Formats: sequence, C-alpha cells, structure tokens
Amino acid sequence: MYALFALFPLFWMLLISFKHDREMFNTIFVFHPTLENYRVLFSTGEYIGYFMNNVFVSVGAVLLSLVVGVPAAYALARFDFKGKEDLAFTFLSFRFAPEMLVILPLFLIYQRIGLYDTAFGLIWVFQLISLPFIIWILRGYFEDISPEIEHAARVDGYSWWRVFLKINMPLIKPGMVAAALLSFIFVWNNFTFALLLAGQDVVTTTVASLKYISSDTVHYGQMAAAVTISALPEVILALLIQKHLVRGLSMGAVKG
Amino acid sequence: MLNLIAGILVPEEGVITMNGNVVNSLEPEDRNVAMVFENYALYPHLTVFENIASPLRSPKYRQPEGKIREEVERVAKILRIDWLLQRLPSELSNGQRQRVSLGRALVRNPEVFLMDEPLTHLDAKLRHQMRAEFKEMQANLNTTTIYVTHDYLEALSLADRIAVLNQGRIEQIGTPDEIYYRPATEFVAEAFGEPEINILTAGLVNKDGWMYLNLLGDSDHFAVPGRVRQALEEHGADTVRAGFRPKDIKYSFTGDPSMLRASVYSFEPLGAKAILTVQADGQLIRLIAAADLDVKPDQPIYLKFNVEEAIFFDSGTGRFIARAGEKGVRSVG
Repeated sequence: MYALFALFPLFWMLLISFKHDREMFNTIFVFHPTLENYRVLFSTGEYIGYFMNNVFVSVGAVLLSLVVGVPAAYALARFDFKGKEDLAFTFLSFRFAPEMLVILPLFLIYQRIGLYDTAFGLIWVFQLISLPFIIWILRGYFEDISPEIEHAARVDGYSWWRVFLKINMPLIKPGMVAAALLSFIFVWNNFTFALLLAGQDVVTTTVASLKYISSDTVHYGQMAAAVTISALPEVILALLIQKHLVRGLSMGAVKG
Repeated sequence: MLNLIAGILVPEEGVITMNGNVVNSLEPEDRNVAMVFENYALYPHLTVFENIASPLRSPKYRQPEGKIREEVERVAKILRIDWLLQRLPSELSNGQRQRVSLGRALVRNPEVFLMDEPLTHLDAKLRHQMRAEFKEMQANLNTTTIYVTHDYLEALSLADRIAVLNQGRIEQIGTPDEIYYRPATEFVAEAFGEPEINILTAGLVNKDGWMYLNLLGDSDHFAVPGRVRQALEEHGADTVRAGFRPKDIKYSFTGDPSMLRASVYSFEPLGAKAILTVQADGQLIRLIAAADLDVKPDQPIYLKFNVEEAIFFDSGTGRFIARAGEKGVRSVG
C-alpha cells in the first residue's frame, strides 16, 4: 500500500513524459507513446547544461561536506571538549531553519559579496544541507569504533594519519556512502536555494523545470521528461552503491 | 599503566624510561612495544592473517612479504589458529579472537610485551591451557613481558616478579614467593590465595617468659615463635593483626584443651576439597576441609592455628611486621 502510494506519482510522471501535449488531458493509460518530449528536451543543449550544473554543484557540495564533515564527526565522536554537544547540536540546527526564512538574508549577503549566481555560491549554501547529515551519521559510526582499535594500530607502528586512513576510513565507509548519498539526494532536489541564489548562469534542473510553464500553455510532457531525466542519477547511484549500504561491519572487533 | 608504557596516554608526572632512554614524548609507534588489549581490538575489516600481519606491514616494522607469510604462519601455528587465517574477526569465537590479538603481538620482536588481562575472557579450561602455553612461550621468547591480571593464579604461575597495585599505588613488588609468604600489606595477603587468608586482630600477652597471642578471646595457646617475638617486641605495639592461610588451620570435632572452640557456619564442597567457614567469637574463619566431610551448621568444631606459619601485620597501617620460618626470604644473588 505504501509502495503504491509512494511510487504512483513517479509512475504517473513517467507516463506523461511519453505523452503528446494534445493527449495530455484526454487519456489516462491508453495513449500513443512518443519520444517527442525527450527529443525537444535535448534538441537544444540547454537542458544538458542545466543537468551538468546540477551535477557540478551537488557533487561539489557533497565532496566539500565530506572533507569538512569526516574530521568534524571524528572530533565529535572521539575527543571530549567543552561545548561538544552544543556544537553538534548547532550543526544539526542548520537543518531546522526553514529555507524560506534564511533565504532573504542569504540573498542579500550573496549579492553583496558576489557569490550570487555562481556555482561556488550554490555549493556553499548546499553544504549547509549536506554537512549536518554527514556529521551526524558519521559520528555514530566513529563512536562504534573502539578507541582500542586505534591504539592497537598505533602500537603496531602506524602513525596517527595512517591509522585514520587504514583503519577508520574502511570502517566508516558504509556510513560515508549512505550519508553522502542521502545528502546528495537532498542537495540535488533542492529548489529554493537554487531558484533564488542563482540567476541565469547556474540554473539547475529543478529550477529549469519551471521553464516549461510558458505564458499560454504548460508543457507538462516536457516538464515530466525533464524531471524524469533529473531523477535518474539518484536512482542509478542508489542502485550502484546498494551493496555498500550495509551496517555492522565493525562487529567482532572487540569483545561485545 | 600499560597505556602509559605503550604511549597511548601521556603521564601527568613522572618519567618512563626504556633501556635507559626517557620515552615520555615518544609516540606509540616509535616505542617498539607490542600490546595485547583486554578487548582484543582487532581490525574488523581485515582477515585474521592481515590482522596478525599488520605490525609487519606498518611503515615502522616493515618486512618483506615472504617473511610476513612465514612469521604469521609460525605464530598462528603456536596459537593453533592457523586454520582460521582467512576468516574475519566477526567469524571467530572470543577465545580465537583473543589468540589472534596475541598473535598480532607475538609476530613482532619488541622491547617489551604488554598484556592487559589477555586470558580473562577465555573459558576456564582454555585459560588454564593458555596459561601453561604462556609459560612455555615466555621461556622461549626471553623478552620482558608486563602482564596485567586479576587472577592471582596467573600472576603466581607466570611471573618472575609481581607488582601488586591497589587503587593505582604499588603495594608490593616481589617474586611470587615473597608476595605469597611475606605480603607487604594485608591487601596483598588478601589478594593472593583462595580461600582468602584469615586476618584476625590479636592482643600480645607476656606470660611466664613467653609471648602469647590473644586470639578470639583465648590467650593460652598461641605462643609466638622466637624470631617473630623479637620482631614484635621491636615493633612495640600490644595488638597486631595475625594472618593465617586457610590451610594452616587444622580442625577437629573432638575437643582438646590446646584447641579453640568454634561452630560451623557454612560448608562449600569444591570437588577435591571444600571450604569450611566457621564462626568463633563473632568472626568468620575460612579453612580448607576434606570434601566428604559431613557437617551441620552450628555444629561445634575445634580449631588449631599453626602459629609457625602466621603472618603478622601492624594493626593500624596493615603493614607487614614479621613471619616465622624462612619461606619467601629473598634469596641473595
């Protein structure tokens, strides 16, 4: 039942992406399938450009968050310092603020410092979304690794950095994959920031789907095709890394 | 303590030296120590082979690959885990994990082995087996080993020298014999020996040119042996604490004027022997009895304390004063 509820809109989207505009409102399941919408979509290089924009800012935001988030999560898990929980909570609270609320000041700031309508500007704001995810998920993974394992590796003759790369990184890999994927999906689908903090230069696919609403008619077919294409990378990614999304790798390391 | 030696923790004060060099500021990887952790600390994503090989692959102690294979297999054979080398730690029993963690230390040739209760998580049978093997290994390796344990039997059987720690302070350092026969404090005496030593408060009474112990309200039967008497007199207190190992107290059910009357409190048969707890003058005294003894609670019983084997402590500080006999006297040379 849930699957039906969740999947039906996707199915519907897929259907109308194959419908011709004139069959849009008078057919349901029986129609003459056409690739016309997809042809129009790719006839100009525009859409591909939007798509690449989206790939660039999303991947950028996730990578940036990983680079910052992995050490941050490690610090939050391992070290005891003053205000540790407050800091962790602050990271999480980035997710509390409604986007609409922060968008206006962000817009003004971005215009002032010249980040408006730049890829880096979008990456910068997107990592607000992805970073908390990565920190909070990875923190749990790091906490699962017994400090003795690190100590053992140090005694075995590995330097701190090597321990981190050789012991910790493989152990948090499933968490890293899961967190990166989740935050990628959130960033990829983000609409508000992309709409308001970018203008003509960095249009992402989510924003681009608006372009199919023209003054006289709405090209639902093209819009659906555009959205279908933009949903593809998420689906493909999720399928590809499914085997890494396993937990419990750290079982058996220490006496439980 | 082991963490300090290994360099995982940095001491707040004091100096750690190794072969005469101060190592306080040395990182763990530069100290050439091998450590066995209480909770094994295996690398869960690596196979048993890779776990054991890990020190030999590290930048510090790198060996050629052929040598690694040889060494790992040698160690695995000793520990009888050679058939498990391709498994992951999660596929092992606790005893096997323990041995893998031992193996990771034994492939190396360190300045010192640090072992943090390496046998505690094994089942009783395997523990005894491993203890014997440790003894054997230790004799062959000839490398300093610091071995932490709560099991006094492990300490007595394996150690050349024992340091007894109480709340972070060293109570005594000595050979197993010294620790057992001449414990520095009551704490040490109580920690070694099962059933626990009986330590009773005893008054000292001088009568007819002899010194007697006033034990449990009886001052007539416990003449203090000459050597101890001298030490006690030098010490000068008129009450001491006298410790009697359970095996040094004899019992009988027929009264005899030289014996102390008590009543049976509890009886725990342990197979080959039994622990008999008796009550005298409001105090419980543990002694070793034959397992087939047939006793009932509150049955009268008569005790004979072997004062020749008693250990005397200061009644205030609990420090060792004297014991009769030559046992545990530090052999010179």
